[in-house]
Amino acid sequence: MTVPVCVLVVDDEPAIRRLLRASLDRSGYRVVEAGTARETTSALHIDKPDLVLLDLGLPDRDGLELIPLIKSAGAATIVVSARDATEQKVAALDLGADDYVSKPFDSEEVLARIRVALRHRLAGEAESPLVQCGPVEIDLAARMVRRGGVEVHLTPREYGFLAELAKSPGRVVTHAQLLRAIWGPGHETDVEYLRVAARSIRRKLEDDPGRPILFRNEPGVGYRLLPG
Amino acid sequence: MVSNVGSPDRVARIAGLEMPRSALTGYLISLALTVLVTLAGLAIFARGNITNIGLLYLLPVLVAATRYGMRTGIVTGLACSLAYNFFFIPPTHTFTIDNPQNIITVLVLLGVAVVGSQLASKVREQALLAQASAAQNSALADFARQLTGVSTADALAQALCAEISRLLSVNAVLLRPGEDGLSVRSAAPPAPVLEMLDIAAARWCFDMGQAAGRGSDALTASEWQFYPIGGASGVLAVIGLSRSDAREPVSPAQLPLLVRLIDQAGLAMARIALTEDMAALAQARERDRLRQALLSSVSHDLRTPLTTILGTLNDMRAQGPEQEVQLAEARAEAERLHRFVDNLLDMARIESGALHQKVEPIDLSEAVASALQDMKRPLAGRQVDVAIASDLPLALVDPQLFHHCLINLIDNAAKHGGSAGGIEVVARQADGAIVLSVADRGPGIPPGEALRIFNTFIRLEGSDRTGGSGLGLAIVKGFAEAMGLSVSAENREDGPGAVFAIRFGPEKMKEVPTA
Repeated sequence: MTVPVCVLVVDDEPAIRRLLRASLDRSGYRVVEAGTARETTSALHIDKPDLVLLDLGLPDRDGLELIPLIKSAGAATIVVSARDATEQKVAALDLGADDYVSKPFDSEEVLARIRVALRHRLAGEAESPLVQCGPVEIDLAARMVRRGGVEVHLTPREYGFLAELAKSPGRVVTHAQLLRAIWGPGHETDVEYLRVAARSIRRKLEDDPGRPILFRNEPGVGYRLLPG
Repeated sequence: MVSNVGSPDRVARIAGLEMPRSALTGYLISLALTVLVTLAGLAIFARGNITNIGLLYLLPVLVAATRYGMRTGIVTGLACSLAYNFFFIPPTHTFTIDNPQNIITVLVLLGVAVVGSQLASKVREQALLAQASAAQNSALADFARQLTGVSTADALAQALCAEISRLLSVNAVLLRPGEDGLSVRSAAPPAPVLEMLDIAAARWCFDMGQAAGRGSDALTASEWQFYPIGGASGVLAVIGLSRSDAREPVSPAQLPLLVRLIDQAGLAMARIALTEDMAALAQARERDRLRQALLSSVSHDLRTPLTTILGTLNDMRAQGPEQEVQLAEARAEAERLHRFVDNLLDMARIESGALHQKVEPIDLSEAVASALQDMKRPLAGRQVDVAIASDLPLALVDPQLFHHCLINLIDNAAKHGGSAGGIEVVARQADGAIVLSVADRGPGIPPGEALRIFNTFIRLEGSDRTGGSGLGLAIVKGFAEAMGLSVSAENREDGPGAVFAIRFGPEKMKEVPTA
């Protein structure tokens, strides 16, 4: 048995920490807790967690400022924030957070997000070159997309869109991140490019574009591939 | 300027200066001088016959004319002529004149009196004018100085009334609009009597920006004379003047001073109004900030225990079927509380005007798909048909707010759409607008309730069983209207059921650019 994966739970509410600890314990993670930014930084050094569940509303410091620190410590970050704090979520993701969950959260959902983030982090650069999404297969190595085994022609930007999502299946990629990767710097706010690309990809790949199974839009945040 | 101010007498009265003169002392002094000159003349005359002794009399005549005016000058001239004639012109000690040459002397003395007095009075007039205008300027400067120290409109009204009352010796009253309409804010002396007619004149003056009341062109039956006070931004107040002795309140000579006082007061009033506006704005901003802080703190305080309760309930495993039922009920109630808290906070955000929008082009079919995915659990087992034209323009809205609109509309359809009725989500373009509608197969909307149904806390008859706080549709309306969209509700045309629609006008649409 290898060393269990370590999760650092950062929240100033002990009740929330207890709740998360219970479900994480059951799933076999080693759990460390922190209630302040100060405790978080020391836990990053001492416990070397693999993933941090970060509440942004800390008493001593803005949680956003911790994200680069966590990233440089080599841990994945999942932000836990209020439902209506869209701008905060986007800022956290653009700072390098891996994903977010909204309060009140469902423990199952948190565990699923943790698995996705850890898979991505452990895979690192050697991400799986073949991503399966229902009948659609995205081949990152050969730069091609097949549907039911048949190659579907996508424009370079459409392919780029899908490939960016496929590099981290199940994780949200912000609009700005997508635009920077595909259209280049300076286009971070041209969200309509993404809408056009997404619409055209769905027309080519989805059975029912009104009920997408390939990827979904997180309103105001970004896109997420729905693997499976 | 001279013609504006009017006669020196009036100017002097305005300025509070009275000429240092009394007719009687003038005559007495002139007479004394004449006697003195005569005595001196007689003394000189005794030493030898000097014919030009008459020149001596120029002295009293000039003094009288220049110092005490023409009338005193002429009287003195006549007195001097008589004295000269009586004492020095042969035959002396009589008033007869033998030599016609001596008549000229008398005439010259009279002429000097007239010319001298006129010259002097002109000089005096100029001096008085200068003095009066200096007095006026210093009165205005005093007032200006007083105004710089005034920081409220009421203090300014007080100062203006007091100053006008003092400088023009009139009753002054200031009327300013407030919550109770145009009414008296200050008066000097206090407690003025304003009849209905006077108030009407004041209102006319305020509305038209022109003088009204006595001596003006409008509502002249009023005892008061009203002048507008204001700046470039319009009339801010009205000042009224009257006299207790029922004379004309303002004489033409006083008008320029009054006009300048009113102008100064208008500038100060505009400045104060601006300062008050700025203060109100800062206050509103502070209130907004506090509200925002309160909302987010309440939101945090309500959600933290909810998260714990929901999470704990979800993690609990029932021991036996009875506990299973209890747990399921507890979970359902906690979920309901969660939705209620969400709705309550959303409503608070709408009603406090604390919605901060970030508008983005969105694809309606994507937005509907995301909302349906998030509503998977409440929709369990229900048929949902989506028909969204694939070539619709993008919609310009705040994605998060719109997401909540959709969730609430779908939730409403799930709650009130009958036990297993299907839901239809349709979006199409018609008449230059996009209409997105959510239709259910429930009992529909009772007649006449289509408008009321979006109101806060409205739950229609017979729909109570399925619960809900009655906030969902109010939130849809609040969010939609905040984003510039309109909402409507009607009954289906093809059988029972309600249709709720959101309409995007042309300014809320963006044609899809070619990729």
